[in-house]
Amino acid sequence: MSSKNILICDDDEGILDVLELILEETGHTIIPEKNSLNVRSLIEKKMPDLIILDLWMPVLSGDQILQMIRTTPAYKHLPVIMISASRDGEQIANDHFASAFIAKPFDYDNLIAQVRKLI
Amino acid sequence: MNTFERGKFLFSGATKNESFELLTKALDASISGIIITDNSQPDNPIVYCNGAFESMSGYSRNEIIGHNCRFLQADDRSQKEREILAKAVNEGLGCTVEIRNYKKNGDLFWNELYMSPVKDGDGKVTHFIGVQNDVTYRKKVEHDLRQQKANMEKMVEERTLALRDSEAFLTSIIETVREGLLVLDPNFTVLSANYHFLKTFKVTVEETVGKQLYALGNNQWDIPLLRNLLVKILPTNNPVVDFEVEHEFPHIGKKLMLLNAYRIELEGQFKDQILLAIEDITERKEIERRKDDFLSIASHELKTPLTTIKGYMQVIERSLPSEASEKFKSTIGKVSQYVERLNNLISELLDVSRIQTGNIELHEARFEFDKMVSDVVDGIQSSAHNHKIILKGKTNTSILADETHIIQVLNNLLSNAIKYGPDSEIIEVNISNVSEYVKVSVKDFGVGMSAQDTKRVFERFFRGSEIQQRFPGMGIGLYVCDQIIKNHKGTLWVESQKGKGSIFSFTLPKNGKGSDEQ
Repeated sequence: MSSKNILICDDDEGILDVLELILEETGHTIIPEKNSLNVRSLIEKKMPDLIILDLWMPVLSGDQILQMIRTTPAYKHLPVIMISASRDGEQIANDHFASAFIAKPFDYDNLIAQVRKLI
Repeated sequence: MNTFERGKFLFSGATKNESFELLTKALDASISGIIITDNSQPDNPIVYCNGAFESMSGYSRNEIIGHNCRFLQADDRSQKEREILAKAVNEGLGCTVEIRNYKKNGDLFWNELYMSPVKDGDGKVTHFIGVQNDVTYRKKVEHDLRQQKANMEKMVEERTLALRDSEAFLTSIIETVREGLLVLDPNFTVLSANYHFLKTFKVTVEETVGKQLYALGNNQWDIPLLRNLLVKILPTNNPVVDFEVEHEFPHIGKKLMLLNAYRIELEGQFKDQILLAIEDITERKEIERRKDDFLSIASHELKTPLTTIKGYMQVIERSLPSEASEKFKSTIGKVSQYVERLNNLISELLDVSRIQTGNIELHEARFEFDKMVSDVVDGIQSSAHNHKIILKGKTNTSILADETHIIQVLNNLLSNAIKYGPDSEIIEVNISNVSEYVKVSVKDFGVGMSAQDTKRVFERFFRGSEIQQRFPGMGIGLYVCDQIIKNHKGTLWVESQKGKGSIFSFTLPKNGKGSDEQ
């Protein structure tokens, strides 16, 4: 299995760190990003194979980024896992055609399983 | 012998004596007291009295004859009637008075006295004749009557005052109440509006009283829902309670109002008038919404660091060196367990808030019921090492419900079974088909509870009396479960015996909450 790029965007540094730590186990390259405004250029530059997106982020929210991805022909089929501690997170994720939704706080095994399923 | 001639006594010849005797007897037979005084003698002494006068006055004849009449007034000398009598005597005229007299034993009696003079051939007054009647009883009745009348007048005055008082009192209540109140006549013309109404809707009395309700404030009260309430609902359903109306008012903005309406059916001047109480719940709803928003944000923000903690905990658990001590391992396990509990508490807080404000939404979808139950059981079993959960029965059904909510209920019941049965090993879960419902029972062999506690166990923040000290918790879980099952139009109940354990059961309609409405 060749190494792939996983882009993680969450405005909370703690979550970004722990996600990076856990996902290292998969052997993939992790690209953590705190500022959601940088996601678009990172997609262009790093060509990630999977994006893990937080929902509630300042300025540009997860659902807005997801919408941008799904309406851009080049990235339309990019797998996106949406993560959120919000109660209506799953609803929003489904409405915007996320590939999967994981509620915060997430379960280690579930997270790994979801990631493996998508790449 | 003929004593009478043309109906009068005949005082001549042989009948004179007989006539006189008869006349004396007639005087004695009279029930009026009769006296004769001799005006020619000094001080006008009484020279004759009949029997009635004796019994009326209580004096005997020998105590009467020779006295002036005034002895009857005893010490009560200042009566103006005495002056009238004296004047009549002086002038030789007749008169009638009602005068206070006293019997021999001192008792007062009212004497209605007719006095008339007797004149001789020269017109000189020789005697006076007094005819007297005891009118004490009549006087008393007259007095009582007057008293009664006075009392009545006083009472009417008092009642009027009391009425005016209570009217003023009621008015001050109505003016003080923090709720708008309108009184309408049968044609919906405003008869009165209280202070709070005027304040809430920023209008004056002049703009309101006497106007048609719908025409108030340039027709801003012409609200279709309100018309519907007054015209259609009120006549059939009196009174109307908690009727919710939302309306955009041109100047004061959108208002959410709760209306109570009542049409007076009592016969009388108020019949068919309409009382309309208006509670402005705009702010209350807004505060509820803000509270929900606040709790949503708070729970999201609290869960964010919790996510990091839980993530690291899971990393630690997985990278535990095999030579780590049991104590170290169990400590790590405990930390994970309490992180999980903290997470549940945060979720519950938001649930309660949403249930209270009725903001809980159901996302109904079909799912395999048996699989859901066994997944939940497996999930709980994996972390409950001291208990064995036995799943019995099968439904082989898919049901229409909000799966995440039902999972939450089942998780809660199972966690409770473990929590309140720390020393028992077995927990039984039974699932079955019951008519158009599925039924789940969770049976534990734990501490159980008293009959008193089973009645209140689904109340918010209720904690069993003895549970309180021994087990941690907020008393929210079962309340949330009950609300969730109710939202699905199912029922949740408990059977329990102290010291023996509890059975919590719930039913769910297979075809969703709307299934009984068709």
